[in-house]
Amino acid sequence: MAAIVAVENVGKTYATVKGDEVVALQDISLAIQKDETVAIVGPSGCGKSTLLRLIAGVERPTHGKIERGTRDGRFIVGYVFQDSSLMRWRTVYDNIKLPLEVTKKQNYEKIDQLIEMIGMKGFEKAYPIELSGGMQRRVSIARAFVHEPSIVLMDEPFTGVDELTKEALQHELGTMIRNLGATAMLVTHDIEEAVFLSNRIFVMSRRPGKIVEEVPVNLPADRDPSMRSDLAFFDAAKKVREKLLAMHAMSVELEAGSPRG
Amino acid sequence: MARAARKRGRSLPGLAGYGLPIASFILGIIFWELYVRVFKVPAFLFPPPSAIVQVYFTGRIDWVGQTLVTLNEAIFGLVIGVAVGFVIALVITLSSVLNKILMPYIVGLQVLPKVAIAPILYIILGFSDTSRILLIVILTFFPIVINTSTGLTDVDRNLVHLLKSLGASDTTVFYKVRLPNSLPYLFDGLKIGVSGALVGAIVAEFVSSSKGLGFLILNSQYTFNTVAAFGAFGILTVLGLLLYTGVILLGRQLMPWYRRN
Repeated sequence: MAAIVAVENVGKTYATVKGDEVVALQDISLAIQKDETVAIVGPSGCGKSTLLRLIAGVERPTHGKIERGTRDGRFIVGYVFQDSSLMRWRTVYDNIKLPLEVTKKQNYEKIDQLIEMIGMKGFEKAYPIELSGGMQRRVSIARAFVHEPSIVLMDEPFTGVDELTKEALQHELGTMIRNLGATAMLVTHDIEEAVFLSNRIFVMSRRPGKIVEEVPVNLPADRDPSMRSDLAFFDAAKKVREKLLAMHAMSVELEAGSPRG
Repeated sequence: MARAARKRGRSLPGLAGYGLPIASFILGIIFWELYVRVFKVPAFLFPPPSAIVQVYFTGRIDWVGQTLVTLNEAIFGLVIGVAVGFVIALVITLSSVLNKILMPYIVGLQVLPKVAIAPILYIILGFSDTSRILLIVILTFFPIVINTSTGLTDVDRNLVHLLKSLGASDTTVFYKVRLPNSLPYLFDGLKIGVSGALVGAIVAEFVSSSKGLGFLILNSQYTFNTVAAFGAFGILTVLGLLLYTGVILLGRQLMPWYRRN
């Protein structure tokens, strides 16, 4: 087992417009092994998305370092965003093609394969505006896998999707990750989504974001929706929830106890 | 019963969509005609619609020729205005230094009522087509600059992150994201520019010309030929509508992926 990404004592500090410093992330260490899916769960504004951007290399950490293991001698990420973030001027086919163009890969047959996998055959020439929200998410997921990335980074991929569609999409995504033998990192505030999709869950604290707990998910690799009622599912969800609640209670106490003005 | 009710429900917005404005227009014309006849308003003060229609067929005025002169100037000026506006938008979005250097001139030119400089343009550039076109360019380029530069800057940040994470250069981000993103904004600017182009053409002809609809209107004033001026107004209204509709149709043709709301 080789680590695809190893994050070591990473911190990220931003300067605000006023000149103050905001510590977004503090002393984060975690390793993601090949072929596993890890989830990061934490309250809004805890720096989850920042961590993804650091791993993607879009931003640089203020402290610590990030080691990126390579597949074919090259580290490439796939990215799934909160809102599908499709190019509205491109068709379904051309949206999925984008990462291949940028990385100059030629395996365009992969596009058709993925369109088939997301059940959108016949929609190749449709524009995003002609698709439902669920379909747009499917396209953005296909786009994240098309160039066979070293790791797929997912930033709250199903926010704002209705419950039933969300469960269907989560199942499809899980199946896709397994079938393609992909490594993935999921950032979410949805505990059940984290449990359903991942092998390990890291719980993060409110700003400054720190990892406060690691919860293993003891479910078989081959997930299906019926496992949502397994004991192991509830067990993992409970552990994550308790940790989040404990932190929430603490922050409420702190706010209540702090002097005004 | 239910079907009939639904049918009525559907025909009502149809009537409000096209029928009502057409009916309103026709009623307005009838009222105008009756008013002039009943109160015996002299035609040189306020000509009735019937007289305006007749003026197109007297053969004393070369309506087609005069219209083409004005239309030519407007379109020529608009095209140059768009080109100039687009280049300036590129320059100020690509270089923040040039942005700061150029901004006072662009804003200064914009807040100045531009028709005020029309008489002086002829002193500087002489009574030529160049000065007429220049006035139209000055009137049309600003909305293009503002809209296009907004479109070039106001992009989905996730898309930029996505491309950057795949190793794309700023140039690639520019032509794959920024440029296509600016197209609908450019067309919004163009819609404003169309009316500016007609204003520019008319004012230019007021100030210095012996042809075109603007000259015709000014000439009608000297000769108390009010009905001819109203004839010109009618043509200008139709021209404005045609140009505006043309821009919308061109936009739909070039951007099948774009629909407002």
